[in-house]
Amino acid sequence: MMITFMNSSDSEEEACNERTSLISVESPPAASYQDGLQAPEAAETQTYRKRHTGGSCSPSDADSGNSDSGLPVRDIAVDNKEEELTLKYGAKHVIMLFVPVTLCMIVVVATIKSVRFYTEKNGQLIYTPFSEDTPSVGQRLLNSVLNTIIMISVIIVMTVFLVVLYKYRCYKFIHGWLILSSLMLLFLFTYIYLGEVLKTYNVAMDYLTLFFVIWNFGAVGMICIHWKGPLHLQQAYLIMISALMALVFIKYLPEWSAWVILGAISIYDLIAVLCPRGPLRMLVETAQERNEPIFPALIYSSAMVWTVGMAKQDAASRGLTQQTWDSAEDVRDIHDNPAYVESEISEARSPAPTHPTTSLLEELEEEERGVKLGLGDFIFYSVLVGKAAATASGDWNTTLACFVAILIGLCLTLLLLAVFKKALPALPISITFGLVFYFSTDNLVRPFMDTLASHQLYI
Amino acid sequence: MTEPAARAAGAAMNLERVPNEEKLNLCRKYYLGGFALLPFLWLVNVLWFCREAFLAPAYTEQPQIKSYVQRSAVGLLFWVVVLTTWVTIFQTHRARWGELGDYLSFTIPLGIP
Repeated sequence: MMITFMNSSDSEEEACNERTSLISVESPPAASYQDGLQAPEAAETQTYRKRHTGGSCSPSDADSGNSDSGLPVRDIAVDNKEEELTLKYGAKHVIMLFVPVTLCMIVVVATIKSVRFYTEKNGQLIYTPFSEDTPSVGQRLLNSVLNTIIMISVIIVMTVFLVVLYKYRCYKFIHGWLILSSLMLLFLFTYIYLGEVLKTYNVAMDYLTLFFVIWNFGAVGMICIHWKGPLHLQQAYLIMISALMALVFIKYLPEWSAWVILGAISIYDLIAVLCPRGPLRMLVETAQERNEPIFPALIYSSAMVWTVGMAKQDAASRGLTQQTWDSAEDVRDIHDNPAYVESEISEARSPAPTHPTTSLLEELEEEERGVKLGLGDFIFYSVLVGKAAATASGDWNTTLACFVAILIGLCLTLLLLAVFKKALPALPISITFGLVFYFSTDNLVRPFMDTLASHQLYI
Repeated sequence: MTEPAARAAGAAMNLERVPNEEKLNLCRKYYLGGFALLPFLWLVNVLWFCREAFLAPAYTEQPQIKSYVQRSAVGLLFWVVVLTTWVTIFQTHRARWGELGDYLSFTIPLGIP
């Protein structure tokens, strides 16, 4: 992490690059097909929990154990169920990620629209040394491309450095680096942000209250992100620091450089995650080999808890699993499929000791599942929408168009994730759509709407 | 950093899957942490363990968790009262304090107070 001071007093930056372009991670399904037993783990998306496949029997055992159908029929049913589950989880995960991404963007757009500080030009980062105040278009384009090259190389260097450190198990260094950068985000950037918001709304604030508020916010943030805390609070803090970082980028990146950088970074993301020697892919694979979670300060995880589908409703199943979670082992899902559930109900009502599969169920545990999205993705989505809000000639049209574009891109990415079941770059599709929508809306739709309005023609 | 530590550090918590001793430990740590001028931590403690302490079926560690939650709530109340009084005093009397008011101020609003 580097703090560098440029011409004006306000320009500070942090090489947040360890956060860029991480991925939604999903683990491969542990489909263990044994005789007559099913293991509906098709859409498991939590990579970093140990899976003990020893106890991995599902409540559907009860179903198959009692059904009279032959084995091939059951296998086909298994495949269909798995596909259904895959798609169902895909849909759930899309919704689970919509909310934080939307929240982050709302925070950024609201700030951009209200606080003038973030749209004023006040110097540039050291990573984008070429100014865009040049007389000719060609020169400006050249400068923005050069800025992009420098920025991307910095990002590549930082990412490779991080991966090397991770490979050689220098955990302390990485942890220290992450703690330092979250400290800076949580305290320094919040201080600046709060100051600017208060100035905008013309509110008096004394140093004592300010110190108190920032100390509380920052300390609890550090505890939640780096140690243990309630899930929702941790998610909220991650959203806030992504928004803060995005605001810094929006302020300090010059116009054209910002767009070119967005484009370049999505290409970089694509390469880094999908190529066999890409740094991000190596990071994910190393983490998977060692069965460790990637550092929490880099990833937003929308964990859901899935309980064993042994009962008809959530409450009942939760009751059952709370009694039995102590000796539990593996992850299962609630099967909403009514026909399926009914057979399970009949199983649940049968006396427990006499039924072999319920004893297996005693050994099952709740486990978290969810989709993980890197913070860099949050940041760059918000940068795109924020820049659209800041600089577009069409007021809200362009912003909304970019917002919709990014969400569509996210949907598609998650769909691909459900299909391919491995780490995927979340930036390329969304950013491409976002850029296309931005430029087309700004240059085509807006004048069209203006002309229509001026001619009083409503369509 | 050992593997379990790596997994525990920063793990997003879902209280249902946490053993009771750990819950007590967490509650206690949050309670003790709040003494470092962190009423927000107490607030989080109260909100997070409220269900565990009062609404969940009884288990051995529950009375202790309950006491920690209650003490955190008391501390939180104290700080809320202190802060509210101070902010009220500051906002209403800031202009009258002249130089001291300016010295204490982080942002000074424009216009006539």
